[in-house]
Amino acid sequence: MMKSTYQQSVLRSNLFVVWNEVVKNIKSLLAYPAILVFWAIFPIFWFIPFILQGQAFVGGPESASFAQITGSGEYVPFIVIGAVLNSYVNTLLYGMGENIRKESYQGTLDYVLAAPCNKAYVLIGKALSESLSSTIFAASQLTISVLLFGMNITLGVMLPVFFIVILLMLGLYGMSLILAALSLMYKQSYDLSQTIGYVFYIFAPVRYPVESLPTWAQIFGKLIPLTYALIIVRSFMLLGTNFSTVYFEVLALLIIDIVLLLAGFYLFSWMEEKTKKSGTISHH
Amino acid sequence: MSKSNEEHRLREVKCPTGFNWSNLKAELKAVWEANIKDWKIEFAYPVSFIRQLISPLVFLLPFLIYGLVLVGGRYSPNLEQLVGTDDVVAFIFTGYIMMGFIGTAVWAMGFSIRRERWFGTLEAIYVTPSSRLGQVLGMALHSTVHQILGTIIQFIVIYLTFGLALKIEGILPALGIFALMMLALYGFGIVISALGLILKEGWVVSDSLYSIMMILSPVAYPLAVLPTVAQQASYIFPTAPALIGMRSFLIEHYQPEVAGNVFLHLLALGAAWILFGIFVFRLTDVYVRKRGMLKKF
Repeated sequence: MMKSTYQQSVLRSNLFVVWNEVVKNIKSLLAYPAILVFWAIFPIFWFIPFILQGQAFVGGPESASFAQITGSGEYVPFIVIGAVLNSYVNTLLYGMGENIRKESYQGTLDYVLAAPCNKAYVLIGKALSESLSSTIFAASQLTISVLLFGMNITLGVMLPVFFIVILLMLGLYGMSLILAALSLMYKQSYDLSQTIGYVFYIFAPVRYPVESLPTWAQIFGKLIPLTYALIIVRSFMLLGTNFSTVYFEVLALLIIDIVLLLAGFYLFSWMEEKTKKSGTISHH
Repeated sequence: MSKSNEEHRLREVKCPTGFNWSNLKAELKAVWEANIKDWKIEFAYPVSFIRQLISPLVFLLPFLIYGLVLVGGRYSPNLEQLVGTDDVVAFIFTGYIMMGFIGTAVWAMGFSIRRERWFGTLEAIYVTPSSRLGQVLGMALHSTVHQILGTIIQFIVIYLTFGLALKIEGILPALGIFALMMLALYGFGIVISALGLILKEGWVVSDSLYSIMMILSPVAYPLAVLPTVAQQASYIFPTAPALIGMRSFLIEHYQPEVAGNVFLHLLALGAAWILFGIFVFRLTDVYVRKRGMLKKF
């Protein structure tokens, strides 16, 4: 009975840590409304040139060549889905690493790491708040795109799509944990996360189908969680398929998620111990 | 005692002032030193240096691959109807090499002041007896050379991978257009750096302006696909006339979307943006110092 009460108390304390981390990050975000508006609207401006490029090159909303590779000639929804899912990369991948770095800049990292709680829950709190803001931004971008470009979206597919987005976020959590760990030790993780962002931008099918890349690049692209998420979501939304058609991609995404999460948590704990011993936590 | 005072006076640093040759020389030296300082900082982070060097190529590739997939080959009949050339690769490449230089104006110049504030050196720079614009221009010089290096890499890779059919004789006038465009972009960059002095989150404004300029510039598509209002708005910025002018010199059979003298247009835009930039910068500079906002971020 005593043990059970203790366990309940530990669980409550950990949830309290997660909740307060979420509240802190959301408060920090709300303190800068310009940033909020920026992420909700401006990523659309980054893919509008691709839509205009399509109009100039094929003279209409459909491309026969595109249809041969992707099964659907409509390049506008292809680009919109790619951009919206890629916005999770922008916020989650850079967000988590930068979140740790921000604590270091603000001089609060020492206190966070010295707090008598499991640091994994601090990271879970950070990850949840980043996911929440990313989902709000993605929903806003998708809604504006639907209104602006007259896209047809069946509400029925949104539930499976949301499930795939969660799987994508788990993979990105794993990657950002690795980045956060490197940020603790090497401080300049910004360049590393930007470089990973470049890899995603070129090798994942954000703007074009993965089949249009050379074979070696396709193999490389298949190691990225975003690749599978984009293939599955586009299959649901553009081709009207279901899980039975894309079960291989779902399974591959799950395996990548597990590997990345395990590697991320292990690396973060290891780096945390190492920086504590070396006394370089507050260096930046 | 008086001798010692005299000796002391001999060691005083005399700063040239006014509009004369020695002052100009001193200001140019300050610009050069700001440029050298940025190179030294850059070389201290080799990973960052290499990443930034290849970034022009990284951002160009999706436009190229996407264009080729859309058309199903290199030549687009629809593009030929719009601008007289059907070569997708030459069209996108000549457009995209300019975009990096917009980044130079918006990011590098715009953030020169902001970065000094982050480093905690802004106040020290502000009390030196040199023009504050010298800092911004030093950063612009560093960034322009950096961007040119990136563009050379971009050119080599695209040439070797796709092959580029450009008119050699058009390179010289295209460089002239490029120089005029850079002049106007420097003016634009000075405006952004002034905004960086007063706005806490200046990157939001910079990125928003960059995104708008990207849409209004005919980088990967001709101006004809934009709505009429957007086409007219594009002439406020130097990139649209510069891109049209450069393409007409570099690409075979290219028909400029607009008539008129590109050189005169860019000269007028350059003068207007530089004057506007200096005016806004001076105004902001005085305002920020009066309000004691230098150290806020």
